[in-house]
Amino acid sequence: MLVGCQQDVSSGDLQGLVVDPPQPKPSFVLTDTSGAPYDFAVETEGKLALLYFGYLNCPDICPVHLAQIAETLDRLPAVARETEVVFVSVDPARDSPQEIRDFLDRFDSRFVGLTGTLEELELAQAAAGVGVAVFTGEGDDYTVDHAAQVIAYAPDGLNHAVYPFGVLQSQWNNDLQVLADMGS
Amino acid sequence: MGRSSLGGISITLVVGLVVLAAGCAADDRSPLIAEQRIGLPTGPNAAMYFTATGSGKADRLLGARSDVATSVEIHETTAGDDGTMGMQPLESVDLTADSPLVLEPGGLHLMLVGVDRLRIGEFVEVTLDWEDAGDMIVTAEVVAPGDVMEHEG
Repeated sequence: MLVGCQQDVSSGDLQGLVVDPPQPKPSFVLTDTSGAPYDFAVETEGKLALLYFGYLNCPDICPVHLAQIAETLDRLPAVARETEVVFVSVDPARDSPQEIRDFLDRFDSRFVGLTGTLEELELAQAAAGVGVAVFTGEGDDYTVDHAAQVIAYAPDGLNHAVYPFGVLQSQWNNDLQVLADMGS
Repeated sequence: MGRSSLGGISITLVVGLVVLAAGCAADDRSPLIAEQRIGLPTGPNAAMYFTATGSGKADRLLGARSDVATSVEIHETTAGDDGTMGMQPLESVDLTADSPLVLEPGGLHLMLVGVDRLRIGEFVEVTLDWEDAGDMIVTAEVVAPGDVMEHEG
């Protein structure tokens, strides 16, 4: 493996869906699981940031994405130290900050969990350029259609690739190293 | 000579009937379930996946139940045109005679609603309710969330 020695990596080395031209990092402020404000652009400056919108009742897509990212970061401790994984719950009615924390701790206690009002969350989704979550169903038994892709911002502050559902572990392993080396 | 030939034909017919009878018995077999697994619950719900094969006979999955969940629903994850994905509950799902029914992440799954806390490596009994085959108990292993995917490189 020569990945660790590469200096001038480019988006051509990525196996995710390359965003061309790269898009700027969105600016939004939400609330983290400790109740403190979290300014996404400020907190992730100079780091590899992985942004994902989901909800805790989601059993199918969300856990797979987060588990795969956690596994790759376990393998790449140097990358993990400079990476911020940010999970935004788009379901504030059901997902309390403590529940979001418990959920993320099952994958990696370093993962950041965010919540906010519905309006704040819609603004954040729009700022990140993803489809805004839609709630379907009645009572507490509703499902949430939400953006299924993980958005990756390299340390240069730009979104170079997105990861729809179905990414292989090997692709995460490759891309997180490449992204960490971009603009760092 | 003629009688002899007829005799040969009748023997063939008898053998044919026996084979047909065996074929009928085979038609009564339940769908074959493989690769059954449940992703470790990370919230109030968990997803179960498996592959069902019809063994030459179609059937229809009407639902499922398990002691570890309040209810079990058939769900399909569908992709919207703006990069979003959502889940739709289904009343039933058809198994055709000759192609496997695959429940996999990003597609079909059984959603265990209000699931108990489970541990990786634990085996859970889930009863599948087939229209023709009736109740079928399958035992699924609880696996890590990242291990529910098949065909990993």
